[in-house]
Amino acid sequence: MKRKFALYPGCIMSTEQYAYEISIRETLPLLDIELVDIDGFSCCGEPLKSVNQLMMLYLSARNLALAEKNKLDMFAPCAICHLALSECRYVLGSNPEMKGRINGMLAAEDLTYNGTGEIVHTVDLLHDRIGIEEIAKHVKKPLKDIKLATHYGCHAIRPKEIGRPVDSEHPMKMEAILSALGAETAEYPEKLDCCGGLLQINLDESALAKAGQKLKAVHEHGFDGLVDVCPWCHKMFDARQTKAGETVAAKLDLPVFYLTQLLGLAFGVKKEKLGLEFNLSPVDKIQIG
Amino acid sequence: MSIVDLTSMGESQAELRKEINDRLSRLQEDVSDYCYQCAKCTSGCEAHKLLELEPHKIVALLKRGLIDEMVNSDIIWTCMSCFKCRERCPQKIAPVEILFALKNMAVASGKQIPGKYSTILQSVLSMGLIQDIQEVTMRDTKTKKRGDLDLPALSKPSDPAKFQAGLMKIAVEKL
Ligand code: SF4
Ligand code: SF4
Repeated sequence: MKRKFALYPGCIMSTEQYAYEISIRETLPLLDIELVDIDGFSCCGEPLKSVNQLMMLYLSARNLALAEKNKLDMFAPCAICHLALSECRYVLGSNPEMKGRINGMLAAEDLTYNGTGEIVHTVDLLHDRIGIEEIAKHVKKPLKDIKLATHYGCHAIRPKEIGRPVDSEHPMKMEAILSALGAETAEYPEKLDCCGGLLQINLDESALAKAGQKLKAVHEHGFDGLVDVCPWCHKMFDARQTKAGETVAAKLDLPVFYLTQLLGLAFGVKKEKLGLEFNLSPVDKIQIG
Repeated sequence: MSIVDLTSMGESQAELRKEINDRLSRLQEDVSDYCYQCAKCTSGCEAHKLLELEPHKIVALLKRGLIDEMVNSDIIWTCMSCFKCRERCPQKIAPVEILFALKNMAVASGKQIPGKYSTILQSVLSMGLIQDIQEVTMRDTKTKKRGDLDLPALSKPSDPAKFQAGLMKIAVEKL
């Protein structure tokens, strides 16, 4: 059965992390997911929660209202966006006064937030909605002989209270997906650690140090590569890897992939169609496809 | 496009400060009743080793009502929003949410907004997104931007004036 979602692209994926969007648009239709583009989305507000939390709630409610207007559930591939939208639904669902206030402001754009639509992220969409069995059926070129570390991203796993796509202390859905694709995975002590992404806004050196520490650990544990599902995390680990390495005095050359890129490779999709030329980490080190 | 400044001291900034104050008071009640200073939040804090943030001390200071001291300190801006403290507190206290409220208060009180926060704020207020389309360098050192790729047009507010009209109720327009 074909399932339809509004693709909520968020700011970073749509203006900079093109590989994620390219690989999502290439692979999900193969799994009978129809992605609908809606004009008019704005930032989810999460990067501005430090400045003004109300603004975050407003922006997220606005985006959810737009999807509702189109009678669609929302697919937010960015972990940060996914948390903002989920938190907005959580807060407005339990606070009718706030909901009324936000709706009063949304009237300026003829929008109303009801809280009817669902919100999914890449990992639960693949693991829970599509399912491991279905994914396994599409594998044409298994990812053989590689051992991968996963990074879910803080916003995808915490806080549990709001309802997250994966378990907060022992997330294993990416492992299950990667294993269906033929790759090996393993646990490592730093798995739940932060990429530093949001700290780029005001303390960039420390953000890089955070990413560098995690990359160095993944490298030292002997993994062949790192897999992520958030454009902020991916930017830190992939595009900014060399700089991140410098902050921890390490020369890093760890291949970093979006989960959807590996999904495509295992499905036999050509490299050029998965945005792999945008990965700045040495993904060529791994021979797949 | 008019310049919008959240730090301007208009009527609604006073309203905003009152709202944040209420939030902080509620958090303070929770903290006073439940936090027993076990420091579990600090032991897992991502910003602890690197930047010396101690969320249990933030909680203790809030308990004592020392809000101004924290609002005026740079330390509140070292939190990476990893949510580990909120997840792991045995008493369901969320230091990270206290930090958000304190940062909101710093901004609403006219303190300088650190780093690129003001840039992304201006960008959201003017075009709806934290940044416009970027030209990125690929592994082979060639550059590309969204328009060069087989991707649909960027989704963003189609009527910026209407979009701003909604947001303006939160942000204050500087005359
Ligand atoms: S973990 Fe919770 S109870 Fe323990 S010090 Fe931190 S806020 Fe207080
Ligand atoms: S959310 Fe902030 S205060 Fe809490 S553990 Fe993470 S970095 Fe520390």
